[in-house]
Amino acid sequence: MSESSKMKSESKPAFAVEIRNLVKTYRSSFKRETFRAVDDVSLSIAAGEVYGLIGPNGSGKSTTMKALLGLVAPTSGICNVFGCDARRVDARSEIGFLPENPYFYKHQTAAETLKFYGKLCGIRGKELKNRVDELLDLVSLNHARNRRLNGYSKGMLQRVGLAQALIQNPKLLVLDEPTAGVDPIGSREIRDLIFRLKEDGVTIFLCSHLLEQVQEVCDRVGIIFEGQMVNEGTLEELTSIESQHELVIENADDSLLESITELVKQHSSSGAKLVSSGKPRSSLEKLFIETANSRIKNSKENK
Amino acid sequence: MATNTQHFQKTSFLSFSRIGVIASHTFTQLVRMKVFYFLVVFVILLWAAKQIILPNQTGGDGSPEQELRLLKSTGFAAMNMFSMLLALSATALLIPKDIEDRTIYTILCKPVPRLDYLLGKLLGVLVLIFVSLVAMDLVLSFFLHQKASGMIALQTEQLVARGTPQEVINEQLAGLKAHGLTINIHFATIAIFLKAIVIASIALLISTFSSSTLFTLILTLIIIVIGLIQADAREYATMMAQFGEQNKLSNISLGVAIFFPDLQFLSIEDGVIDGRNVPMSIMLQISMVAILYFAIYVVLSWFAFRKKEF
Repeated sequence: MSESSKMKSESKPAFAVEIRNLVKTYRSSFKRETFRAVDDVSLSIAAGEVYGLIGPNGSGKSTTMKALLGLVAPTSGICNVFGCDARRVDARSEIGFLPENPYFYKHQTAAETLKFYGKLCGIRGKELKNRVDELLDLVSLNHARNRRLNGYSKGMLQRVGLAQALIQNPKLLVLDEPTAGVDPIGSREIRDLIFRLKEDGVTIFLCSHLLEQVQEVCDRVGIIFEGQMVNEGTLEELTSIESQHELVIENADDSLLESITELVKQHSSSGAKLVSSGKPRSSLEKLFIETANSRIKNSKENK
Repeated sequence: MATNTQHFQKTSFLSFSRIGVIASHTFTQLVRMKVFYFLVVFVILLWAAKQIILPNQTGGDGSPEQELRLLKSTGFAAMNMFSMLLALSATALLIPKDIEDRTIYTILCKPVPRLDYLLGKLLGVLVLIFVSLVAMDLVLSFFLHQKASGMIALQTEQLVARGTPQEVINEQLAGLKAHGLTINIHFATIAIFLKAIVIASIALLISTFSSSTLFTLILTLIIIVIGLIQADAREYATMMAQFGEQNKLSNISLGVAIFFPDLQFLSIEDGVIDGRNVPMSIMLQISMVAILYFAIYVVLSWFAFRKKEF
């Protein structure tokens, strides 16, 4: 059958995602005014890499993603997915997409939703059943698999969204605000899932407002502002302050700290100075998760 | 540009299995909206129509066909209304709702060509209308058969009691039988379904470029009204032309005939209510016309939808 036939491969593409000089212009209703949502954006993501695109609202992040998914046509420029033109339907067989705040058909259960998307991708029979079970386990929704989605919380819907994005085992996962509206525990689970997928070799392209999260999971980051890519690089390149160094010492007594301070003063002629010292703080997120986990453990023990 | 693509599964332009998946999903979606409750209303309505005994029937001397006519016209009116409402509202609602809820993103981001999506949605609505019409046809047939056979038995009894010869009895009952359950009832149901196909495909076309459900509903409704009256306007214009009066109406009606469907042409229920036979050639003609309208509107919908941006 033609559907299952494979396209002839010429050579292995260098990048999972390649966007070159992407421009997307929108016209107003009466075509009097034009608005450039994406202005000459270029980026490339290597296979297996986690790439984060950050920027304020209306900066062109979602439009860039939509161009990559074939939901909008570029005014000019090129969008390729594993070397295939993103406008072609074929390219989508390797893409899983989680939109921001996804809504699904409320009349369906989680299992039915995944089956529906699986069938759209041509998966059938036992293979589909196993894949649905596997994904419901992965996103921890097996207990609610037969409940209709109209009774799901926002976080649960987000997890269904993630599961549907993964249904055909895509090589590229596009996530638009994957943790929007999700509580810190759910957010951490999604983060852990991203790490797991990365280990499995899945390329991930994500947009998020939660900069801390982007910093945690992404190999490379692009900053987009008013439709233009203003900065791009590895996290180390973008965030490290070349002229400063950080030491974290455990069990240091006061005399050791005084000695270190004194040593730095002795080198002040070379420009060295102590900028700050103190106890490192745990993040509020970490504190919340530790508290929640201990409450869950206690309630389980009491039962 | 060099096509250094890696192994990609080639997605066929049109896949019946994919269309089937979307259609069955749309069907389930509509069924879970409890549209079949209308069938209960339909049964009550027909049961009530069956109970009606017209004043001139009480003595048994009037025309019993009138009661059968009433039953049939009630049934066909309800079938027309239900199928038209469903074809209009369900089709006008489905795609804009998918866009509004952003579920369309998750579907079109899978290897699903846009034509498959459109056809799947449309077929889902049409299957629902078809199933509903089959059920309504069975209900109408049941009530009609019950009423007609009761009347035939009563008439036969009365005529035999009067000593009427068998040939005369057969002749008198032939008219009554023609108003009872015949194949023409099912032909009329098919014609109602064909009309629903045309209306649903018009609603589909409008929903592909309209940005609001209300606009789609109103515009489709206007087209339906034009479709229902355009034959009369054309007839009037032809008549005026015969009298040598070539006015603006003639030109307008000609233009309307080109761009809008003639829904009156697809209506054969009135003849069936009057007990007339529907020749097979008419059934073939209206089927061809409906399929042609369907094909034109679907192709236009696809043209409007294939480059649509979300």
